[in-house]
Amino acid sequence: MKYLDAWTETAARGIARRSSRRGWLKGLAAALASASAMPLLPVARAASTPDAGAAGIPESGDPESCDYWRYCAIDGFLCGCCGGSPASCPAGTEMSPITWIGTCHNPADGRNYVISYNDCCGRTPCGQCLCTRNEGDRPMYRPDKNNDLNWCLGTQSAVYHCSTAIVIGLGLE
Amino acid sequence: MRANGVALGWLLVMGLAQPLCAGAEVDDRRARIDYMLNCQGCHLPNGEGAGDVPRMTDFVGNFLKVAGGREFLVQVPGSANAPLEDQRLAELLNWMLDEISRNQLPADFRPYTAEEVAKYRTLPLRDVLKTRAQLVQKIALLPR
Repeated sequence: MKYLDAWTETAARGIARRSSRRGWLKGLAAALASASAMPLLPVARAASTPDAGAAGIPESGDPESCDYWRYCAIDGFLCGCCGGSPASCPAGTEMSPITWIGTCHNPADGRNYVISYNDCCGRTPCGQCLCTRNEGDRPMYRPDKNNDLNWCLGTQSAVYHCSTAIVIGLGLE
Repeated sequence: MRANGVALGWLLVMGLAQPLCAGAEVDDRRARIDYMLNCQGCHLPNGEGAGDVPRMTDFVGNFLKVAGGREFLVQVPGSANAPLEDQRLAELLNWMLDEISRNQLPADFRPYTAEEVAKYRTLPLRDVLKTRAQLVQKIALLPR
């Protein structure tokens, strides 16, 4: 008991010597400041960032569903379900500059838009929201219009993670 | 109002002058969309290329200065195999050359015609990379 008493006293005096009486205020302030900064981190904001080419386009449907109009020729995992968005890559992946490009019909305004399916590369396949729609997909002998190829070309890593669908223009009627 | 009148006049002059200068009709918007759908995936939005995809920006017009180059731009598989009719491919090439490599065009540049494109398309290249390397070598030897 005596030893326990001595040890407790030593520990308590040690803590008192090393810490200040109002030090907890500093800790509380830091916690409050970091809690308010959390929503500003890029991870949470990526999903709500619209792509430049899509500004002003009437929208309908759920961008995390395979039925969404921009995914008419997609074959892969939706980046929106993987920590990115329909137009941006999840953290830790690199967007492939080389892509396959087609058009999709937007039911909200009845027009056709040119869509670029840029793949996000550099991490193992995401595994969320697998979509296979393949409208306008062509056989392997037309590689520029085939979506079974790995389009992680021109990136540091050729490992496929997920696919985006970026509006790059208005198509011909 | 005066400024608007001047601007309108200018537009009319430009509108009339353009088809005369171009020689062949180019629908800019259609050509750009054809480029997007058939070229941009690899050559990127301004022809800058990436990795093994050659850069066309500020370069591709040089092919028209050397023998065989004019044919090559039609025969190269990306052009020859594009799902575009001869007229649309001619339009796309003419638009692209003016858009991304105007300063390299020869002084006597003539726009491609549909007939010309049709003729070159029937003569496929046996070895694309070798042909290209030879043409690029000829371009390098051109007087500056």
